[in-house]
Amino acid sequence: MRSIQSVIFSNSLAIVLTIICVLPITAVFIFSLTAPVDDAFAKFGLWLHNSYGWSVSTFVTELRFAKIGFALRSVVIALFISFLYYWISNWLNFGLAKVRSNKSIAKRSVVIETIQPWIFVGPALVLLLLFLLIPALTTLKISFTEPGGGASLNNYAFLWDSDALGYLQFRLAMRNSLMWLILVPSLCIIFGLLIAVLADSVSWGVVAKTFIFVPLAISFVGAAVIWRNIFAGGGIEPQQAINGATPSYQIGLLKALLGHTPEYNEPLYNLKFWGNFYLMWIMVWIKTGFAMVIFSAALRGVPQETVEAAIIDGANPRQLFFRVKLPQIFSTVVVVWTYLVTDVLKVFDIPYALSANDDDKLLLATMMEAAMNTWSIGGNNVDNLFAAIAIMLMLTVIPHMIFLGWRIRREQKQLGH
Amino acid sequence: MYSRSFAHIILAIILVIWVVPFIALITTSFRSEVASKTSGFWTAFTPTELGHRFSTHDKGQKVKITEMRGNIFDRINKDEEWFKISGEINSIMFKGRVPDPEKPGKTKLIRKLVPVGEVMNVRDGEFVFQANGDFTWSFPEEVAPKPKNLDVFINQDPVFGAEAYFEVLLDNKDVPNALISSFIVVVPATIIPITVAAFAAYAFSWMQFPGRDWLFILVVSLMVVPTQLAFLPILQGFNGLASWATSLKQWMTDCEVTNTCQFPTKSFAGLWLTHTGFGLPLAIFLLRNYIVGLPRELLESAKIDGANHMQIFVKVVVPLSVPALASFSIFQFLWIWNDLLVAMFVGPSATDDIVFPILLERQLGTFGDQLHLLNASAVISMIVPVIVFLAMQKYFIRGLLAGSVKGG
Repeated sequence: MRSIQSVIFSNSLAIVLTIICVLPITAVFIFSLTAPVDDAFAKFGLWLHNSYGWSVSTFVTELRFAKIGFALRSVVIALFISFLYYWISNWLNFGLAKVRSNKSIAKRSVVIETIQPWIFVGPALVLLLLFLLIPALTTLKISFTEPGGGASLNNYAFLWDSDALGYLQFRLAMRNSLMWLILVPSLCIIFGLLIAVLADSVSWGVVAKTFIFVPLAISFVGAAVIWRNIFAGGGIEPQQAINGATPSYQIGLLKALLGHTPEYNEPLYNLKFWGNFYLMWIMVWIKTGFAMVIFSAALRGVPQETVEAAIIDGANPRQLFFRVKLPQIFSTVVVVWTYLVTDVLKVFDIPYALSANDDDKLLLATMMEAAMNTWSIGGNNVDNLFAAIAIMLMLTVIPHMIFLGWRIRREQKQLGH
Repeated sequence: MYSRSFAHIILAIILVIWVVPFIALITTSFRSEVASKTSGFWTAFTPTELGHRFSTHDKGQKVKITEMRGNIFDRINKDEEWFKISGEINSIMFKGRVPDPEKPGKTKLIRKLVPVGEVMNVRDGEFVFQANGDFTWSFPEEVAPKPKNLDVFINQDPVFGAEAYFEVLLDNKDVPNALISSFIVVVPATIIPITVAAFAAYAFSWMQFPGRDWLFILVVSLMVVPTQLAFLPILQGFNGLASWATSLKQWMTDCEVTNTCQFPTKSFAGLWLTHTGFGLPLAIFLLRNYIVGLPRELLESAKIDGANHMQIFVKVVVPLSVPALASFSIFQFLWIWNDLLVAMFVGPSATDDIVFPILLERQLGTFGDQLHLLNASAVISMIVPVIVFLAMQKYFIRGLLAGSVKGG
């Protein structure tokens, strides 16, 4: 009689092998089988094109409809394959257990119960392993490897060697990252608290909160386009002064409000050093809604008795906020702060879209991209330097990870009491 | 009373700061190309002086005349479909040669603004125009004048039109392609991680297996790993996979004849998987926190009725977890729709296959001169997420709060 361990082992092996073989083959098979769908869509597009007389060329229409067809079938196939995994593996698990241990129902259910959790968590663990854990460790390894192989610290030379590639850029990136890390979360929290408090005391607060909340749905690049209208410089082709009369060619609102003359043509975010603050403001504009929503909820959670007691004791609104409400939601403020810090460390799109990776506006995240595409930073050592900067980025997150872990532990201890 | 009105004022100022950029975006997208690149969006609502160019008449007119009459507005609006200009003529910029007072017998080139009613010498004829746009151009003898292009400054009435949207959506093939690509990316990259995470979250909360708690802590701690850390190895992995698949295809089919062997390193499928991997930690964390709180009696009674884990999951847990599933799906949807970084490194790089944020980033460069198109394209990119966001606000807020206020 087989031991139950070996049954479990062989059953899981059979399931894993079946999945590895069956799923890709099914995917490729269905994919090639459904290829005519693209042509059918292209024909349909052509028919629409001819019956409505569209202005674009027929070639574009055909391509676009073929792409829609491709999109639809690949989406459907991808979803089908991921559902197929759970169905097949579950079915195999039951089927194999039945075949292999048909004598005892207890043994059968033990086999099923042991394998089933791994069917459920398996895909998640495999994906996390393949796309986060192993890559992160590999990056660590690459960062300590020479281009030709062999271990070395040379990739980090920009830290101490002023002749190394990326020395200057790294310093600027660190300076800017620190400014972002300090200013953006603080401003978001101050604005978030202010709005949360004020919106509770006026009747149109909900409307105000909705408008302040909406930027959270917008992409950073979209926000960059939006704020370009405010921070832009003069017109693209500044018109010469004629007879002393110059019609306004100022297209940026802020510059017009500041009274800049039309000749001064640079967007505000291109200013040396100070431009960074305009880029930061875009991030503040997006993320304040996040802080506001959480603070509103937290303020509503402050026990009414404490507020009433303070009012009876004669506290004015300011004291009520700073002495009674703020201390009670302080832990929430800290959580929001850590979230914002992690968000800011990852910020990439705003400086990338608006500053074209100018040295003066680099952040650690954008410096990685710059190292890939600029010889003056990356040299011929691109991958290793990329990895080294990624590790520096990781190092800046670690204090927050430790802090967050410490906080969660402390809270769990408090709950335990 | 004092503090109450103070609150109104401060909040109103903040609200204005937050809303004005949206007004700028939408206004600019409904303006004409000339207006949007030569004047600020705030001038669109009031009569504003703007420069236009018109030609006095069409080319190829050979009839000899001594006087020509016409209307400047008719000439400007001749081919204009969307932005019919109206208003009041201020001046015309005259560029030409006049007798030089310092050097008798010679001429010099001057530029000057000629006001309404003043006679201007154009091609040896007298050109006079009125504020309503009527002009007369008279010559001393019969000639067939060539058309003349003149720059005119008009105190122009506000005019809006949806031209930019039509141009971006119908004439330019990038924006529709980017919309399709974004949908190709966003649908599986939202549904796959939810499915995977829901199964995992159920296992983490209601199934027994060795190392369960440690694995869960590992998964959650992966939440803070910056995604940049993973790009390079992921790309190398896809690279290896693509070259392997290419040689497999070479070996199995006669693709070399048609030169279609090459599998791309960067593909939609790669982007789906990468987004799935990056989204999983948060998804498992949120869903597990929710599923672990479901009533134990319910699940146990289902078990007693003979349901196995698969049946319990599909028939009991999923229907009860709809709020948590919705709140994660909106996070993931917004994150992927707005993502530039992952799509740039891992996603397809062919111009027809780029997702919207990459397109928008490129348009910031290429449409630097056509702000109306840039802004229209930005509006189009935002419509989908903002609608989803406002419609599912409740779930979004619930998801936000689940991670922070409730002790998490």
